[in-house]
Formats: sequence, structure tokens, C-alpha cells
Amino acid sequence: MYSRNYFFTLISFIGFLLIIKAQEPINKLLHNKFINDFKLKNFDNSIISLSNYKEAKGFIIVFTCNHCPFAKLYSKRFNALNSKYKKLGVPLIAINSMDTLIYEEENFEGLKIKAIIEKFNFPYLSDASQETGKNFGALFTPQAFVIWKEENKWIIKYNGAIDNNAEHPDKAKSYISEAVDQILNHNLVLNPKTDSFGCKIFYRN
Amino acid sequence: MKNKTLFLIISVYLSNNLSSQTYNNLWIPDTLSGVNFSLTIKDTIKQLRPGNQTITGSVNNNFWGPTLFFNKGDVVHLNVKNKLNDSTTIHWHGMHLPAVMDGGPHQVIPPGTLWQPYWKVSNNAGTYWYHPHLHEMTLEHLTKGIGGFIIVRDPIESSLALPRKYGIDDIPLVLTSRRYDANNQFVTTNTAYGDYMLSNGTPSAQINLPKQYVRLRILNAEVERGYDLGFSDNRIFYIIANDGGLLNSPIAVTRVKLMVGERVEIMVNLGSDQIGSSLNLMAYNSGQTFGFPGSEPGTNGAFGSLLNNINFNVLHINVIASTNNPIISVPASLTSNSYYTSANATVTRTINITNGNPGPNPIPFNFDNTSFAIGTINKTVNLNDIEKWTIINNNVFGHTFHIHDVEFKIVDRNGSPTGVGSHESGWKDVIYVPRNESVSFVAKFDDYADATHPFMYHCHFSNHEDEGMMGQFIVTNTITTVNENIINENEFMLYPNPAKNILNVSFDKSYMQAYYIRIINSSGKTLMMLPKPNLENGIDINGLKSGTYFLQLTDDKNKLTNTKKFIKE
Repeated sequence: MYSRNYFFTLISFIGFLLIIKAQEPINKLLHNKFINDFKLKNFDNSIISLSNYKEAKGFIIVFTCNHCPFAKLYSKRFNALNSKYKKLGVPLIAINSMDTLIYEEENFEGLKIKAIIEKFNFPYLSDASQETGKNFGALFTPQAFVIWKEENKWIIKYNGAIDNNAEHPDKAKSYISEAVDQILNHNLVLNPKTDSFGCKIFYRN
Repeated sequence: MKNKTLFLIISVYLSNNLSSQTYNNLWIPDTLSGVNFSLTIKDTIKQLRPGNQTITGSVNNNFWGPTLFFNKGDVVHLNVKNKLNDSTTIHWHGMHLPAVMDGGPHQVIPPGTLWQPYWKVSNNAGTYWYHPHLHEMTLEHLTKGIGGFIIVRDPIESSLALPRKYGIDDIPLVLTSRRYDANNQFVTTNTAYGDYMLSNGTPSAQINLPKQYVRLRILNAEVERGYDLGFSDNRIFYIIANDGGLLNSPIAVTRVKLMVGERVEIMVNLGSDQIGSSLNLMAYNSGQTFGFPGSEPGTNGAFGSLLNNINFNVLHINVIASTNNPIISVPASLTSNSYYTSANATVTRTINITNGNPGPNPIPFNFDNTSFAIGTINKTVNLNDIEKWTIINNNVFGHTFHIHDVEFKIVDRNGSPTGVGSHESGWKDVIYVPRNESVSFVAKFDDYADATHPFMYHCHFSNHEDEGMMGQFIVTNTITTVNENIINENEFMLYPNPAKNILNVSFDKSYMQAYYIRIINSSGKTLMMLPKPNLENGIDINGLKSGTYFLQLTDDKNKLTNTKKFIKE
């Protein structure tokens, strides 16, 4: 009986180790994508990089654009998110990675006009070369990422939609707020990936 | 006593929840009339289900587009602006017009570009439609909701006592269905059949119709599903028009099969119904023979759906008081069409429906074992010839066959003229070819010849079409032109330059005409596409921002292209 217990415990322990090992690659997929810093022009002509923000623990990065009707619904929510989280060490930065050749509206002039008219309280950066969009793997506008500083590297902790109701913010469950709150409380992000959809970002190759 | 109360409470609760089905009022598309029509194709959103909105595409609205009213004989001018995130095309389904105005896969409108086709409306009064036709993207664009009705009016139809009060007793009704994902977005991959009906883009649609004869102009804009239409009480209704216009006389039926791309106009009498009563227009799709699209068993997956193989509601009708001057009878005679016959045809062609068989490494459905290639002209037709085409379907499934440019007359099914139903005896441009059957039609290819731009023929199931079940034909003028002085034939001048509102084009030779003009900005982006433009009054460039542009002109005679720079002030 003693030997049976011991045998059973050993098997379970080995099984446990195997399961942990198997989960590692999955976790890598979801969490350990590293992001390069960038140097992009803001609508006020300043150059912005993540390294400018010495005090920041993390960032909410949203990919948005000027012409997409779906993305346009979120402007007020971007302001609200930045107002809430910048002082907690998690500022919001918006990036436009649209192809400016095909969509004239997406050029720097258009970006400046949109930021001013919609009174953005956060940087709205022009990624005309589309390199930052490609680095993040941004597919649609709007699409949001929460990135966090770990060992001097930026890691994606959340990737997906901002919330689940574009037209009615009062009825929306905010995936971004949930993710940032969980990280700030030293908890796991329970919903690290949601489907994002909107206007497709076409990359010039 | 307590038990009785409980029983009462429970039965009231149950009866409320069992009998009530919430309906939404059928959206009636807005209308555009006259000779100038502005259509803006755009990405938009619509609340179709509780929770998140669905991303849709539309013309001028948030799903589907306005109904265009054309008068036969008018020259109509379309201003089509593509504000989608992607290139598209708009095809004028059923319209007889020059190939370069057709809006098929060759007339690609890039995002942010204005396309200005125009043509003289020569179609008979009837119900036609417009929809995207970009190769490999037709299913996706159509699913988004891009499309709309065209109603042509002519003196013959206008002289008849038919219901004609649009939205009151004359109702356009586009039928389709959708499958949704967990975020309420349309599923466009691996699905041939939607799970939930959309009538004019309205889920669970209802309409109030007056206690008199009413007219429904019904269009099947599905990916694949056919509808075997009838009323919930199996009442008789009258078919008055096919795809290409009025039948010679109304046909009384209790059922009509409406397949993808087809239109049918029906009249039904509500004059004997009580005000406040209701009835349903239904799809009696259960028990169809295999090969009828939408009869496959299974409620999900690539070929199943919640609406497969069942009878379901497509429109809930509530009867209200009749209007002033109601239509209370059906005319015995509608028009006298002069149809072509097999004997009129001087050229006969056969097209076989091939491939599409399930199994490992399947070849998608195609015609004559040849999938669509955008650079290949499959058939050359001589201008003014009358041709008979026979479509043979010894294939695993039924299909609908559509041909651009012309309306045709079905002359036989399975080799026999008696096989042609009276319900499909009018002019048509889409034909159902059931499994293991063949069908022949006769058409005249007149008025428009163009050796450069082809017309299409294809299966109208957009998934099959996108996968290559399509071919191209050109209509050519057999009179050959003698080419003199090809060099510098297309010399032209732009004035004034710089220009502010109007840019004029003057040609060196008086007989020169432009086949196509494109206006391109300094980054190389096409902003305006003008097929066969009439340059008498110049080109309106008010829509352009100030800057440098290039005008690229292809001349009509030799199809040579030359480019000149101009400045817009």
C-alpha cells in the first residue's frame, strides 16, 4: 500500500511537470511578445518614444485612424482611459498605421485635424512607414494593446478590442480597463486576447 | 385556492411568452430619381442583435442602398464614390449598356475614387439591382450589405392598373440571411447559408399592408440559398414580372422558386382579409430534392444552417385599412413581348458545369473545366447576332446562371420546350439550372460592341463565382477599321491650365473621342474614372483639392493612352 501511494504520487508529479512544460509555449504565445520602442511624430510635431516616459509602468497603445467609422466611435473613450490611467502610471498613446498613399485622409494633416477637433488629451502618432503597426501585429482599427515593462523590455499583456459595445459606451464591458486593473493589482490578466474588428489595416510590403 | 392562483400566474406568463414574437418594421429603402444619381459606398455599422453592433457596408445608408428609379429612354448618370476601406465595383445587374459601364471585375474602383458611368436606359420596366462584383471579394462585399434596387418605369407599365405607391402597396423586398460570430460580426468564411433572415436588412421583419391588391418586388440576394416562396395560408398569388420585365399575362401560382440573383414581381389580394389580421410570406424550403440550395441537412458548418431544410417566415404582414383608389383586380393582359425562338438563333453554344466535387484536392466549380482568368476572353460574339446558349448541369449540385448585357428567353429545359415553366416565361437574366438538368435560352446581342472590355457570365452563387465559376465574352463589330497614322492619333490638349472648376479637353483630330479618362494625383492615386466621357462641357474638377494632377486619356479608335499634366487651383 505504501509503495502504491508512492508510485501514484510520483506519476502525478511527473504528469504535473509535463503539463507545466506543455503550457509554457502557450503562455509564451499570449504574453511574452516583446515590442520594440519607436520614434514617431505626434500631431503637435514632437517626436514620441516609449522611453520618453521615465515614470510609466506600462502603456495602453491603441491603433486607430481618421476615416474608419468604427474607430471614430471610440475617441471619447480614449480620452477617458488616458485621464484615468495616466496618473496611475499607464498612459494611453494612439498610433495611425494606415496606408497614407491609398487613403489621403490618413496623412499627417488629417491626423492633426482629428486630434485637435476631437480634443485628444494623449499623443496621436503617425506611423507612416507602418513599421510599428507591423511590430505589434495590429490588424484592424480600432485595436488595443496593453504593454508592460518587465526587465527593461516591453511585453504585450493584452491584445484585442477596447470593449464589447461600440455605439453604447454605458453598456460596454471594457476589456482594457479590466486588463490594466488586473496588472496594477499584481493579478493575472484573465482575458489576454479578444477579437478585434473594424477597418482592416492594409500593409504595403 | 392557492393552486388555482399559481396555475393562473403560470399560464399568463406562458401565454405571453409563447405567443409574442417581436417583429421589427421592414426598412423600405429611400429612393433616388431623375437622371443624376450619387451613390457613396461606405463602411458603417448597424444594430442587428442585442449587444455589439455589426460592421456592415452600405450605399448611402447603414445596410443596402437606395432604390434608383430610371425612366426607359433617359440617359442616366451615376456618380459612384467608393469610401470603403477596400477596392470594389458596382455592377448594374440586368442593365443593357456598354461593357465599359458594366461595373464587372474590370471596372475596379479603388478606395477614395469617383467612377462616373452613364448609359441610355433601354430595359423594359421591371425590377433590377446593383451590387459589387470584385473578383474573389464579391461574397464578402455582398455580405456586408452593399447593393440596392433599380426600378425602371416605362409607358407600357405605367398605363396598367397596377399597385405603384412605393412603400404603401408596391414593396421592394430583398431576401438574404446571415451567420454571426460571438461578437455579432458577419461570418464570411466556410459558410454557404446564413442562420437568420434579413428582409431589407431587417431581422424578423413585419409590414402593414392595405386591404387590397399589393405588389411585392422580391429579390434573392443570398450567397446560395433558394426560396420556395408562398403564403402561410397557401393562397393564390400572381406573377406579373420576371427579371427583365412584365410577362404577357399574369400567372396564378401558390408557390414560386426564387433563386440567387432572380427577381419576381407578384400581386396578392389582401382585400378579403380582416383589418388587424396577419399572414406570413414564407420560404417552404423543407423536403426539396437534393441539389436545391438550402436543402442540405445539418444546422451548422460549411453547408448547414438553422434555416436549412425547414419552412420559415420571410415577412410578417399585418392588414390595415385600404388606401384611396386601391387596386382591386389583376389586369388580364400586361404587355406583348416579342420573344426570340430557337429558330431565330444563328449561333449555338454549349456550356458545361464542371468540377466542385467533394473529396481530397477538390477543383472549385467552373465551366467547361476552365476556371475564370481575368485576361482570357472565353467567347466572342458578333454584334446583332441572336445566339442560343445551352447550359448543361451533370454536376453534383444546382446553380444559377447569369449573363451580363442581355435579357434572354428560356426556350427549353432538358431539350423540351414544354419543360419551361409559365412562371419563367418572360425576359430573364438569371436562370436556375437544377442538378442533372440542362436549360437553353436565346438572346440578341445588340447595340454595344467593345473588343476591349468584356461582359461576364457566371454562377450567381457568390462563393462559386469568387472561386472561378465565371467566364467572359466580348461583343465585337465585324466591320474592321483601317488604321491610318497610329502615331500621335491620341494627341490632345487641356485648357485652361491651371483650371479651377472645369477642365476642357480638345483633340487634334475632330473625329477623336475619349474611350476612358482617369485623373490621377501626384502620388499616383486615381481619383476619378470617366468611361466614354462626354467632353462637350468639360470635366467638373470641383471635387479635387488644389495641386498637380495627371489626366490619362485612352482614345476610342486605337485604345492608345497618353498622359498630360494639369494644375487645379
